[in-house]
Amino acid sequence: MKMSLSQRIYFFTICCCTLFILLVASIIRSSDVIELAIKQENYAQNLVTHTNILKQLIMSGDIYKDNYNASNWHKSQRELITLLKRAPTLTPQEQTLKNSIHSQNLSVQLLFKKINNNKLLNASEATKKHLKTRLIIQLETIRSDSEQLSTIAQKNIHQVLKQEVAFIVTLLAICLILLTFGSFHLIKIFRTSMTEIKAAFHANHSGHFEEIKLSNQSQEFESIANAFNAMNEKLSKSTVSLEVMKQVVEERTHVLEELSNTDSLTKVANRRALFERGHIEISRAQRSKNNLTIILLDCDLFKEFNDKYGHLIGDEVLVNICKVCSNEIREIDFLGRYGGEEFVIILPDCDIDGGLETARRIQDSLAHHSVAVKNQKIHITLSIGLATFNEKHKSFEELINDADRAMYFAKENGRNRIEIYQDINLH
Amino acid sequence: MLIFLLVASVLLLSVNLNNFWQTEKYPVSIAVSKTPLSAPFYVAQSINAFDSSCVTVDFEHVIGGRAAFSKVLLGEVDFATSSDSVIAFQSLTQQTFVTHAMFVQSDNDVKLITRTEDNIKEVANLKGKNIGVTKQTSSEYFLRTLLAIDGLDIADVNLIDYEPEQLINGLMNKDVDAITPWEPFAFQSHQILDDKITIHDTKNLNTLSFNLISLTPDLASIEKAKCVIQGLNTAINYIASRPEDAKEIVIKELGVSAEFINWVWPDYIFKLELNQSLLLNLKSQTTWLTESHELSNITPPDVVQLVDSRAILQVNPSAVNINY
Repeated sequence: MKMSLSQRIYFFTICCCTLFILLVASIIRSSDVIELAIKQENYAQNLVTHTNILKQLIMSGDIYKDNYNASNWHKSQRELITLLKRAPTLTPQEQTLKNSIHSQNLSVQLLFKKINNNKLLNASEATKKHLKTRLIIQLETIRSDSEQLSTIAQKNIHQVLKQEVAFIVTLLAICLILLTFGSFHLIKIFRTSMTEIKAAFHANHSGHFEEIKLSNQSQEFESIANAFNAMNEKLSKSTVSLEVMKQVVEERTHVLEELSNTDSLTKVANRRALFERGHIEISRAQRSKNNLTIILLDCDLFKEFNDKYGHLIGDEVLVNICKVCSNEIREIDFLGRYGGEEFVIILPDCDIDGGLETARRIQDSLAHHSVAVKNQKIHITLSIGLATFNEKHKSFEELINDADRAMYFAKENGRNRIEIYQDINLH
Repeated sequence: MLIFLLVASVLLLSVNLNNFWQTEKYPVSIAVSKTPLSAPFYVAQSINAFDSSCVTVDFEHVIGGRAAFSKVLLGEVDFATSSDSVIAFQSLTQQTFVTHAMFVQSDNDVKLITRTEDNIKEVANLKGKNIGVTKQTSSEYFLRTLLAIDGLDIADVNLIDYEPEQLINGLMNKDVDAITPWEPFAFQSHQILDDKITIHDTKNLNTLSFNLISLTPDLASIEKAKCVIQGLNTAINYIASRPEDAKEIVIKELGVSAEFINWVWPDYIFKLELNQSLLLNLKSQTTWLTESHELSNITPPDVVQLVDSRAILQVNPSAVNINY
């Protein structure tokens, strides 16, 4: 049977109260028994006293004399008879003694009456003496029975006291054992359950959503544990959603970042992304003292081409250029749209020769990948300027300027050419 | 297997322990007077009170304390029931016996019966009459007391000795003018003769007690007496708490009518004791008897030698009240 802590405490209290009531009832009962026994003892002692008085009256006077005054005897007898009638409640054994006393007293009364009336004028002294002794013996029997009655009453008092002490000691021992056991049990439940709940809170705080598992059964702590476990379950579910949300936001942010850094037509990095990357590469080259080369490409006669074939074809030409460039550069290289029909390729860890090589590959590849317009292949050419990073460059813009100047020379010198800044030579 | 062995060991041990605790029982024989005064013996046997003490008891039913006494003196039985008067009379001739305890008293067991036609109204009318008694018993002592109270002496009447059961025949055959039988003979006379006899009201004029006696005991006999008294104590408590059941037992054991038991029972007080009044009573009786004419050559015995309280002291010390 599962019991709540409060039920246990109630049960415990009821048990203690019951034991206490038992204790009080037992004390009341014992005091009643003792009171009765004391009454019996007093009664017996009164009987002894009255019998002694009667004995004294017989022994002190000559009952055979004519002038014997029997009034004291009769008075004492009346008192004894009254006393016998007012007997307290007696046990069957005590009642037997009382019956004996009563019977003996009747004999005493009768014998005294006969002696007092007859005076035994003709009887021998021996007979007179014998009958007087007989009276005394009968009174002695009454006294003896009364003494026995008194002894029984005293024995009863001792016995009841002994039983009561034993009962009280036993009851108190049971109470003590119950109290000790009960308190230790409750303390154990409290302490263990509190430790388990505390541990669960700690685990929860650390992000481990653990259930509370109670080793001791109690409704109160179970209700706390159930509420905690339910809250924990909800919390763990909502915490998972937050992570998913974070992931989605990160993904979206990544997409947005990509969108903000990409040129919408050619899908290569836009000018902002180009400059951002350019600054990073400049900083890296400055730190590492590694080579850094950039290529600036400009589509030759693009305006005329646009006017002739339309903007859509123009756009397609630009996409084609980007596609060719992307195929010819390394993984670490970066292609971006500088503006209009101008593109920049950043080549980290690449000297001017490497840049020149890449530019040539692009020229060759573009020569082989023409754009088809109305079943007619249109060949596009590029004017390319190269510049390599050195100590005089303070920024990426300065490096771009140098490459732009070289590209300008390429335009100047007849287009579809590659020019390198510093020594403006045609290749 | 282990459990079986354990159970077997416990059973074996309990049987042995039982044998160990079971003390040896003494076989004793008791001459019991066939009267309701011996009720504690019949009740004790019926409720197996002797079984829980240390004796196995054999009763020998006798009529009258005198017969019981002679069986003890002859060594035919270990114990006997006897009235205080029989003890007093017997102590005048020999003192080789003791009283262990008194177990009942009656103030109306012996009765004075006369023929109605003789119109004997008072004890004083018995002067010069033939009176049937069972000599040296409470029957004789009762008559002596009756006569003394009314100023007569035993010498004023003619005593004729009868066996208890023959007393009524003596009265009806007119061999005697009065008889002093004890129960159940007084009741039987009343049943048979009804208005032909007069049973005089002598209640409370004489108190008779019945006692457990044996030869002067050795230690072993004291142990036996203790066991018998233990059984009697249980029986007397039973009689006090369940008087109707006790009466049923006596009716069955004695084979008497319920009417008879109801006739005598109110006069009986069953209590176990050995007190000063018994000693005084015995002393008084023996002294009186020795001072009478026919026994004047006998020295009264030392009555203290006639009681032995060792056995009863072991059973119920509060029931002993003797100043030696």
